[in-house]
Amino acid sequence: MSGVFQECFFVLEKEGLTSIPTRDNHTLLVKRTVRSGQRITYAGNIVIMGDVNPGGEVIAEGSVIVMGDLKGVVHAGSSGDEKAVVIAFRLKPIQLRIAGFITRSPDEGESRSDHPEIAHIQDGNVVIEKYHPGCEKI
Amino acid sequence: MGEVIVVTSGKGGVGKTTTTANLGTGLAMLGKRVVMVDTDIGLRNLDVVMGLENRIVYDLVDVVEGRCRLKQALIKDKRFENLFLLPANQTKDKTAVNRVQMQELTKKLKEDFEFVLIDCPAGIEMGFRNAIAGAEKALVVTTPEVAAVRDADRIIGLLEAEEMLPPRLIINRVRLDMVKKGDMMDIEDILDILAIDLIGVVPEDEYIIVSTNKGEPAVLEKHSRAGQAYQNISRRLLGEEVPIMDLEASGGLMARIKKLFGWG
Repeated sequence: MSGVFQECFFVLEKEGLTSIPTRDNHTLLVKRTVRSGQRITYAGNIVIMGDVNPGGEVIAEGSVIVMGDLKGVVHAGSSGDEKAVVIAFRLKPIQLRIAGFITRSPDEGESRSDHPEIAHIQDGNVVIEKYHPGCEKI
Repeated sequence: MGEVIVVTSGKGGVGKTTTTANLGTGLAMLGKRVVMVDTDIGLRNLDVVMGLENRIVYDLVDVVEGRCRLKQALIKDKRFENLFLLPANQTKDKTAVNRVQMQELTKKLKEDFEFVLIDCPAGIEMGFRNAIAGAEKALVVTTPEVAAVRDADRIIGLLEAEEMLPPRLIINRVRLDMVKKGDMMDIEDILDILAIDLIGVVPEDEYIIVSTNKGEPAVLEKHSRAGQAYQNISRRLLGEEVPIMDLEASGGLMARIKKLFGWG
């Protein structure tokens, strides 16, 4: 992979430098907007440096971070990892899935999120809340 | 060497053929040597919109299959000496030509013309693949509708995968009254999603229907708002700086008088 795609290892601090690439630290960097009809799949985390437009899909076995508007379909923890999260500057997905949990945006009206938000699983529900840098959930 | 520009949209009925006809005519009015190529094989329209249907002898498929020389198939416009049309075949389908043949054809055409405008069929299948094969630049046409914008986004994604300059956007059939009431997507909403350069906004104009039926491109009619918008886009294609038209100025005589007195 080259150009707009870049694979990298983000080693978690607590694991130290001896850790081997796993689903948790194997990350794909996508340096463009994911447009309608495009699907990004990866057996690790995905970071999108752009938007995910309506009709676009991002599917990761780990977590998904979108440095832009997330308006498409996103699936984090696609192989069952319930600890996976989704973070976006503006989180307005058509459908959001984490592991086996599926949520969709409300049918009426558009939710206006003007701050970064995080979606994660808490007590068997997908919870979306304001993202606080350094929060311990990740 | 001329430039090859494909006019595409994904969705049907948003105005690809109308745009091609008007920009081709607009560029010819500005003195450029232009050829328009209709690649919508099986559903040809561009010749009808240009009012040149009765002049067709040979078509794109005849040229590609070597049944005639390129020059024989080119139809000269009835209004401009420097405007030509290469019509599509009506009886074959999109598999009648392939990418390599289209690349060779556009290569030949751009030796002789300053602008080669390619009218792309709707869809993302073979017809689309063929139409973009020889193009260096693309104009994406959309209307302020969610489905049209969605398809435009899909098309832009496909164009980005080609070796082509970034596509530019034409927003067609904009109705300011509906935008104001919040019933229609506004230009900002569309640019927010598509994130490509805007080359023009064309207002909804009843005259387009009249002109299409008459075979007289609207750009020839001074009083047509859409015609003016197309003329502006033609000038922008030549690199001129033309401000985006003030859609507010639309409406009938009364609206204009009201505006003059500051009541509008």
